[in-house]
Amino acid sequence: MEAMGIIFSNIYDSSMGELTRERTSASIPFGSRYRQIDFALSNMANSKISNIGIVTKYNYQSLMDHLGNCEEWDLKLGEGVRFLPPYATGHTGAYRGKLEALQTAMPVLGRCDAEYVVLSDTTVLCAINFAAVLEEHIASGCDITVIAKAGRANGKTRQPLAVKLGDDGKIVDLAVDYCAPEDYLVGMSMFIMRRDKLIQVIREMVPHGKYHLERDFILPEYNAGNLKVNVYPFHNVALFNQSVDEYFVNNMKLLDADVRRSLFRSEIPIYTKVRDAVPTLFGYHGQAANCLIADGCHLFGKAENSVIFREVDIEDGAEVRDSIIMQGSKIGAGASIRYCILDKNVTIRPGTKLLGSIDHPLVVDKGDTV
Amino acid sequence: MQFQKKRCVAMLLAGGQGSRLMVLTENTAKPAVPFGGKYRIIDFPLSNCVNSKIDTVGILTQYQPLELNEYIGNGQPWGLNSSHGGVQVLPPYAKSKNSEWYKGTANAIYQNIPFIERYHPDNVLILSGDHIYKMDYAAMLRFHEQRDSDCTIAVREVPLKEASRFGIMNTREDGSIYEFEEKPKKPKSTNASMGIYVFKWSVLKAFLEADEADRTSENDFGKNIIPAILNAGHKLYAYRFEGYWKDVGTISSLWEANMDLLGKHPAFDIYGAAGHKIYARNQAMPSSYIAKSAEIRESFVAEGCNIEGCITHSIISTGCTVGKGVEITDSVIMPDVTIENGAIIRSAIIAEGCHIKAGARVGDYIEGEERKISVIGKDKTIDEGTVIDAGAIV
Repeated sequence: MEAMGIIFSNIYDSSMGELTRERTSASIPFGSRYRQIDFALSNMANSKISNIGIVTKYNYQSLMDHLGNCEEWDLKLGEGVRFLPPYATGHTGAYRGKLEALQTAMPVLGRCDAEYVVLSDTTVLCAINFAAVLEEHIASGCDITVIAKAGRANGKTRQPLAVKLGDDGKIVDLAVDYCAPEDYLVGMSMFIMRRDKLIQVIREMVPHGKYHLERDFILPEYNAGNLKVNVYPFHNVALFNQSVDEYFVNNMKLLDADVRRSLFRSEIPIYTKVRDAVPTLFGYHGQAANCLIADGCHLFGKAENSVIFREVDIEDGAEVRDSIIMQGSKIGAGASIRYCILDKNVTIRPGTKLLGSIDHPLVVDKGDTV
Repeated sequence: MQFQKKRCVAMLLAGGQGSRLMVLTENTAKPAVPFGGKYRIIDFPLSNCVNSKIDTVGILTQYQPLELNEYIGNGQPWGLNSSHGGVQVLPPYAKSKNSEWYKGTANAIYQNIPFIERYHPDNVLILSGDHIYKMDYAAMLRFHEQRDSDCTIAVREVPLKEASRFGIMNTREDGSIYEFEEKPKKPKSTNASMGIYVFKWSVLKAFLEADEADRTSENDFGKNIIPAILNAGHKLYAYRFEGYWKDVGTISSLWEANMDLLGKHPAFDIYGAAGHKIYARNQAMPSSYIAKSAEIRESFVAEGCNIEGCITHSIISTGCTVGKGVEITDSVIMPDVTIENGAIIRSAIIAEGCHIKAGARVGDYIEGEERKISVIGKDKTIDEGTVIDAGAIV
């Protein structure tokens, strides 16, 4: 069954602090060599979805640089993949919700002949086969399928969408922006709908001031009995990066072999931009323990419990612990850092000591010298 | 089909069976042999072409072309997926009357005259598929054009005592060649040919046709074409190359070239900014995980590895797994190799896809003695506790 994809690139931008100052949440670096969008885009490519609209709002220059012509994903920019920036019609360009954002996708939605649409944002990272979800969606006879994850709700954090299932797998309760108890499943911001139905919803709702997909459409329509909702429980690892703290913890989770096995599967690989970096060089006194290290690094100092991106230099006597070091950063000789997130191309001067805390990692802005 | 005129078309001779690399080329064309953790030998001349703004490359191959073909694909990793030119693998093809294998290096080019003619090139660059080096062919081409040379041969200085192993170019002061000696007993100079030639296409084409008509010819560039052009009184120049260059046609030279990548100031500096990089086909692998138990010194580690053991002065290629208590020293581990707990590997080359089971020992090296490299061929399994001697080829 044919499906097209829509990816929302700006969701949660405001909660990611400095990391989204010059980029969309879609292009936040993650996991030693990826950008967040790599997961959504690879999932679609691996599910044979080649017609994809990427909804963007602002700050999407770095995203465009990253995707290039999409050949790394075996997709084609312009033919299959399209950037959907805001309409330049006097509109301020600030989307208040996914429904409103989808207005910019109307020409793409209208033109294609796929029967279904897979919607995804870029902040929930997993390896999923949408083709299997679509099959189940069709079999369920429902209007919308919500992909959801058990084990995330904790009764304290507000969840954009939470559902409770009965023993028969049917929905007992559906709530939006809810501090859901532990027995609820949390929506992974991934949905499947019929394309004609989605077009109809956008046409009817947005002009009536309804712009929020979950709050203005799913919840009231479900409550009114007008919307049959199917829940697809996802059983593998899903990492929700909805705040800087979660982002830090989720990077560290990749040091766990089981998490890596679930996210990086050779039959559905996660693709990313090729950098053509040389393999990582370990020097005579270089040392790494419990680290994820991309290629192109020079390791003359020590690294421990850290996630290290491409082309990072750790000089003699430097020590990196419990940190995320993004592409192109340099840690000078004898410097020591712990619980830090160094954005791209940061320079730590020789001998400098930087200490964040496990709950609040210290973030150093892109290109800064400390 | 006819294309826009090209200043230079490159032809890469990748056809050699590479028998001196033994098991490593049993099922693999020599240029497709892995190198340096994430590369294959052919990435070097191909990247040099791209970095020298040569956008049309023909690859001449006849042994095990399948893997090479798959690796080259549409040439996209090297930016050679151009619609006019790009990279093409050119195996000998069956013509209507007589289908022929390539008889020699010159015959391989002769059989592909129609390919070259499509681009009406001024010059043709002839490259070899088994050398590791970084070279700006554009500088050599400028040298060639400035002197209105008919044939320019890249040379490098070799020690006098080794000169009798090479083709030696004897030159005048201005770099023009007056004599060529193949493996001379008493070398007059130390300018060794690197097997890299730029020809004026009109000149080369005429000599290829004459060479083909000569039944006694071995159809070889070094033995036949170059001497014939020289004897006919054409202008030949030697172009001196100073950088790192290594023919990796033997097990020991392949091992040495890999080792030359290591260290803070490596003998071969593979690093480079955009425009000087070596490009390779990349696999979608995650970053490498280095466990707490791992100890890695003076080594290269590519992506997609999982390392728990001890690695010293070695190359670990893409997608390898190195178990606990493993000890790897002075070795080249090619892609997708699994080395189980407690295995010991010294002075060895382990080819792609091998599985070295727990406690096996491969190779050895005793300080002060001659180093003998052990080689395990592609996709082999070495059983638990097996001992493979120094210098053994499996």
